Amino acid sequence: MKEFISKKGIYIAVAAVVVAIAAAVSVALSGGSGFAALLSEPFFKPVKSVMTSLVSSLERVYGYMYRYDELEAENAQLKTEIAKLEEDYREYTQISEENARLRTLLGFSERHEDIVLEPVSVIAWTASNFSSSFTISKGTSSGLEMGDPVITEEGYLVGQITSVTSTSATVTTVIDTTLSVGALIYETGETGVASGQFDLFPDGLLRLSYIAESGSVLIGDTVVTSGSGGVYPAGLVIGKVVSISVTSSGLDPYAVIAPSADIAGSAHLYVITDFAVSE
Amino acid sequence: MRRGSTILRIIILTPYLALLYIFQSTVFTHLTVFGAKPLILPLAVAGVALFRGRVDGGIFGLFAGILMDLAYNQNTIQFTLILALTGLLLGILSDTVIVQGFPSYLLICFLELAVCSAFQMLSLMVLRGAPASLLTGIAIRQSLATLIFTFPMYYISRFLCRVM
Repeated sequence: MKEFISKKGIYIAVAAVVVAIAAAVSVALSGGSGFAALLSEPFFKPVKSVMTSLVSSLERVYGYMYRYDELEAENAQLKTEIAKLEEDYREYTQISEENARLRTLLGFSERHEDIVLEPVSVIAWTASNFSSSFTISKGTSSGLEMGDPVITEEGYLVGQITSVTSTSATVTTVIDTTLSVGALIYETGETGVASGQFDLFPDGLLRLSYIAESGSVLIGDTVVTSGSGGVYPAGLVIGKVVSISVTSSGLDPYAVIAPSADIAGSAHLYVITDFAVSE
Repeated sequence: MRRGSTILRIIILTPYLALLYIFQSTVFTHLTVFGAKPLILPLAVAGVALFRGRVDGGIFGLFAGILMDLAYNQNTIQFTLILALTGLLLGILSDTVIVQGFPSYLLICFLELAVCSAFQMLSLMVLRGAPASLLTGIAIRQSLATLIFTFPMYYISRFLCRVM
């Protein structure tokens, strides 16, 4: 200890003080980390970089292990939120579609204030290849009766109720061979009878018969209900004329009509439970 | 006539019939082939009759017919009678002269569909005066659309009937 304090010790102490002062002056003058840092930087930077990366990786692993449960819970919560958002989106789409239908229906209702409508849903279609009918979700308990016309929200005629129970009803469509509807050409006022035919109904078409002459009906003309007989309200759109022909005898002209209603694709329909008979 | 546990047959054939009815009244009322809806219940009756014989064929045909009338949305018992009788007759043929195999199945399906179409056409011709030529066109479409499904229905029926 004595030797250390003597010569060597004094030299070391002086050197240390000089280095300390030099470092302090260097830091004070440069405003940075000083010459020591400048000297050590090239040696330690790669090592520090590797160490930082290593520590960072270890921290991630540790964090993953430590926060696994937390992440799992967060993941479950996010999944729930996504499911809810998807459900909201589906609901929104349904509401949007329903809104569009109701707006269209409102337009129809404003044009036909006398008509009372009951909304229904299609439950099932017949499996038959020889007829066209379907079952709807309401029956007599909702005020439905035999013979009530069924329409789309646009007011296109779909068919007529042909059998009814308290909770459901069978609708025979306009293309079925058992249904006949008093009709007229909207453009000319030419009258006829629209009815399904076995040669047309597999293709989803129907025939307008008993028209006076072929020249009075043109392709593209709109066929509407005439209202005669009081079964259907006047002015319901049945469809458009797609071709004009004559019967095999060559005497009776008839027009082939494509229904305006998407009969096979209808899911939400309206039953006309009451209307003012225009005769 | 084949042997087997009655309970096992009921356990296997009841859900099979229910599943077929659901398919017939939902999927196959929208799925059209050649512009016609296929009739899979009669194919199932032919399958059970071929592999299980007259008794099972007749009973399965009876219930399949009831469900077919429901799927047709009609109050008549047209298919109840047709499918019960064809199930019985095809079962007798299977018990006596017909060998079990796909060609036989195809043949009896064709016969069964011809009988079904004939009855449907006859009732429309008699009751509503519908022209036979137009009805024949629809009947041919219906039979062709249905016969496409004979291949899967044959193997399903064979598998189920072998399990019993």
